[in-house]
Amino acid sequence: MEKMKRSTCGWARVSAAILLVLAASVGVGLSQQSLETNFRTTGAAVTGVFEPQRQAIQKFSAVIYEGRREIAYGVVISADGYILSKASEVDGKAGLSVRVDNTSYNSAKVVLVDQRWDVALIKVDAAGLVPADFAESSDLPQGTWVVVNGATSRTKRRVLAGIISAQRREIVPTGGAVMGVQLAQAKGRIEVEEVSEGSGAESAGLKKGDAITSVDDKKMKDGDALTEYLKTKKAGEELKVSVKRGEEKLELQVRLSARGEVFVELTRNDEMSGDFSKRRSGFPKIIQHDVLANSDTMGGPVLNLAGKVVGMNIARANRAETFAIPVEELRKIATDMVRQVSE
Amino acid sequence: MKGDMRAAFLIPAITILTGLLAIESQAFPLNSKKAPQSEADLLLIQEALFKAIPNAKAATVCIDIGDGTGSGVIVTADGLVMTAAHVSTGVGKMVTVIMPDGTKLEGETLGLMAEYDAALLRITGEKPEGGFPVVEINRSDDTKLGDWVFSLGHSGGFDKERGAVARLGRLVRVANTTFQTDGTLIGGDSGGPLFDMEGRLIGIHSRVGPQLPVNMHVPVKVFLGEWDRMLASEFIGEGPFAQKPEKGKGFLGVATTDVDGGLEVTKVGKKSPAEDAGLQEGDVLKTLNGEALENRDKLKSILAELAAGDKLKLEIIRDGKDETINMRLGAR
Repeated sequence: MEKMKRSTCGWARVSAAILLVLAASVGVGLSQQSLETNFRTTGAAVTGVFEPQRQAIQKFSAVIYEGRREIAYGVVISADGYILSKASEVDGKAGLSVRVDNTSYNSAKVVLVDQRWDVALIKVDAAGLVPADFAESSDLPQGTWVVVNGATSRTKRRVLAGIISAQRREIVPTGGAVMGVQLAQAKGRIEVEEVSEGSGAESAGLKKGDAITSVDDKKMKDGDALTEYLKTKKAGEELKVSVKRGEEKLELQVRLSARGEVFVELTRNDEMSGDFSKRRSGFPKIIQHDVLANSDTMGGPVLNLAGKVVGMNIARANRAETFAIPVEELRKIATDMVRQVSE
Repeated sequence: MKGDMRAAFLIPAITILTGLLAIESQAFPLNSKKAPQSEADLLLIQEALFKAIPNAKAATVCIDIGDGTGSGVIVTADGLVMTAAHVSTGVGKMVTVIMPDGTKLEGETLGLMAEYDAALLRITGEKPEGGFPVVEINRSDDTKLGDWVFSLGHSGGFDKERGAVARLGRLVRVANTTFQTDGTLIGGDSGGPLFDMEGRLIGIHSRVGPQLPVNMHVPVKVFLGEWDRMLASEFIGEGPFAQKPEKGKGFLGVATTDVDGGLEVTKVGKKSPAEDAGLQEGDVLKTLNGEALENRDKLKSILAELAAGDKLKLEIIRDGKDETINMRLGAR
């Protein structure tokens, strides 16, 4: 950290918001003093005081593995092995396993996904797990301490702390909701010209050359009509897309993505943000905090000083912002999802 | 510091009172510990933030400079704003200042320190009744390594629903002209305020390193050292945070021909500074900054000594009447 390379990078015309001049020459003189790592905000001397919260995290913050790689954290919500995590990090991954406290659970399965919130319900074969203790409210003033699972070893969860850093709010999908296709008007019908990689259209199986006849049972006369209809939708919602492929008629469920996530254009801010979440917009409501994180540390619980869950980390948005689902909504999501799989 | 001095000058008869004063202005208690040791210590930090953030936030503005945004903080009730030189980019530039409630006000950049990333600007738009919300500058230079601090800023641009973003950190490195903290900054925060736990301004956000915990700020003492010159709109020092406009590269945007008594405008460039200032075809330019415009060469020689952003005062004749036009030279 101390021996970082510094380069001057002056004011550039950027389309997005400015502009931190990246690491310009800093006076490295004799008069300079530096705080020992141990006493920095992420240092052991500071994180050590959060031991009571760490013990709570040890019990109900799950670690999700794909093979041997940690890909996300999760919130244990039942003694018999239901765990919530971030869907776009865990869904569709093969060989999932979960570690809670010191025990590893193999053959973990994603049993349900809530696209709107990007939440996955995972089930492992377990008994006697300690479910997370939910707080009453996430209505916390800016400056309130929060504690999260920041890193982990096989046996021990480690914590990082920070504060509630902004107002609770909705995060609208970046650039609106899209299926992830390019359309062309041909012979009086809407034809799919290209399907974008990683889009909802691709995973639904939409193919180049397909003719879209109706969406949600509404006839679409041209691409403009479809675009107008999409404006009423949000990323995460699903569309019923009726398609003609040759002589075949198909019905596909297409999940809408945020435009900014399908057609990725890295901004200067993205470039200084390290490993942020692929899906980081399109959440009905979030709380925001300033704890250091990356895309692999999402899905875990956000605790208050009382050791109760005030939210679940759902997106590392950028270098300075992390979003979490507020506990009020998390409680509803958990109840609904468990009810759905039990029915 | 202030408290100590006050105590020293007071007579013994009111020792108890001075004692209280000294306690009141004492530094944030947790800064004397190497690390918090209990939940009570953590609550001290939290309480300090609850107390300081609302006021600090009210004075933290977004600065829109046309092709990007930065942040700034209001320090006087009549609208003086401290920001970074790489946000203001020059002297005498028009900017838009966005208040926390979304109100947009005009502003004009004053002086800057190109070497240290310090700048002042003034809000020229209408002042609210009772003046602008302000933060207090910590002038005592008692900030030290390990102190708890918080940053505010309009990260990534203005967002009314979100508000200014707060980040907690510690002062992890102190050099003469730079503070480093481990509270993360991002583009859009530039020029925003760094506070001590009493909500007093101690620095202005400047730049970041590649690692997340490496975030740099300009200490307020750098500003205070050249305050009057910046207030007088001086461009102080050379780069890297702002480039002095080059003489002779300014842009007016008129074509003229020599006539009796001056230069007649034959064409006004589209979207040129001349057009913005209201110059019209047929206007006769008599003087520029007090010098008679005898011919086109004279105009050229005056402009050769001026740079983009410099003020122009033109005396002209329009439809037989004398008029004065005040404008600024643009960049080509």
